[in-house]
Amino acid sequence: MTGVDGDGATRWSASEAEHLLAFADDEHLMGQQHTEWIGTAPFLEEDLAFCSIAQDELGHAAALYELLGDVDRLAFGREAAGYRSCSLVEVPCAQWELAIARHWLYDLAEQLRWDALDTAAAPDRGDLAGVIARAQHEEEYHRIHVTTLVGTLRTAGEASCRRLDAAIVAMLPDADALWQPLDGEPELVASGFLSDDSASMQSRWRDEVDAVVGPVHWETLAAAEGTRHERTPHFGPLYDRITEVFRLDPTATW
Amino acid sequence: MNIFEVFLKKDGKDEFRHAGSLEAADADLAMILARETYARRAEGDQVWLVDRRDLVVSDPRFVEPNTDKPHRHNDGSLVAAHRKAQRALRDASA
Repeated sequence: MTGVDGDGATRWSASEAEHLLAFADDEHLMGQQHTEWIGTAPFLEEDLAFCSIAQDELGHAAALYELLGDVDRLAFGREAAGYRSCSLVEVPCAQWELAIARHWLYDLAEQLRWDALDTAAAPDRGDLAGVIARAQHEEEYHRIHVTTLVGTLRTAGEASCRRLDAAIVAMLPDADALWQPLDGEPELVASGFLSDDSASMQSRWRDEVDAVVGPVHWETLAAAEGTRHERTPHFGPLYDRITEVFRLDPTATW
Repeated sequence: MNIFEVFLKKDGKDEFRHAGSLEAADADLAMILARETYARRAEGDQVWLVDRRDLVVSDPRFVEPNTDKPHRHNDGSLVAAHRKAQRALRDASA
């Protein structure tokens, strides 16, 4: 399967590897996007918070890549077509409120995704159990951070609430498309690798979003910019930027 | 935005120590940001936050009269010198 090598190829079925790769790609690009706020967030404390959360997400990506093969090669040494990221993590969020909206929508989904993967941990699957446990522990804090921030901004006055809600609504098409299932998903649910399918998680995620900014007319949402098999126009510049150092010397040991 | 003073305590017998301050909209956000700003490298395992508006603060002139009272500083050297001299006297007379 594309992008998986070494020991990883033997430990996982093609569908399992693709599922973990898509999750890792999302975590990788989400982490990279959060780092864009280092040094430029509206105030120092949030600058540091985004920096720490970015480090955590990059750590989750690295841990998942490591289960599949060589981390550097999977993170930076692949053709764009080999990525399975969702459009939500590829689009740029140049405005602070869009970055917060994405952080909120993504992390609500991320919790469901780790929890659904919990049943996949098994002795022959390397340290997947450890990766899941660590990520769930860190995500607990990410959610506290972003739900408190969203709650504060939405109760800080009408202008603040309207601005954040508009940002959340703007991110919804790409956020909802995060739940487009990969081809091999039915097999993973049947085998118990996943305890939940994307449609069921999407439904619970929509309920959480509705509870804050709803009711959202989900059936009328605009289409997302790309699919997991098709990169958005934003991927190219992002990919060039994040691989810039790696490409200087792809064989270097860091 | 309010200013909060951040205190950290490390595991064990160390007391809470002032780590710095931060600005936040409310106490909940302040606690989250204190974790990121002052404890991201596990500098402490407990956090106290004090809203600066709750501090009782002295007038700068309140303590000023005490700045020129060197006789209130005691490093023990005078007492030590006295005891040493007393010991020398006792030994000489023994």
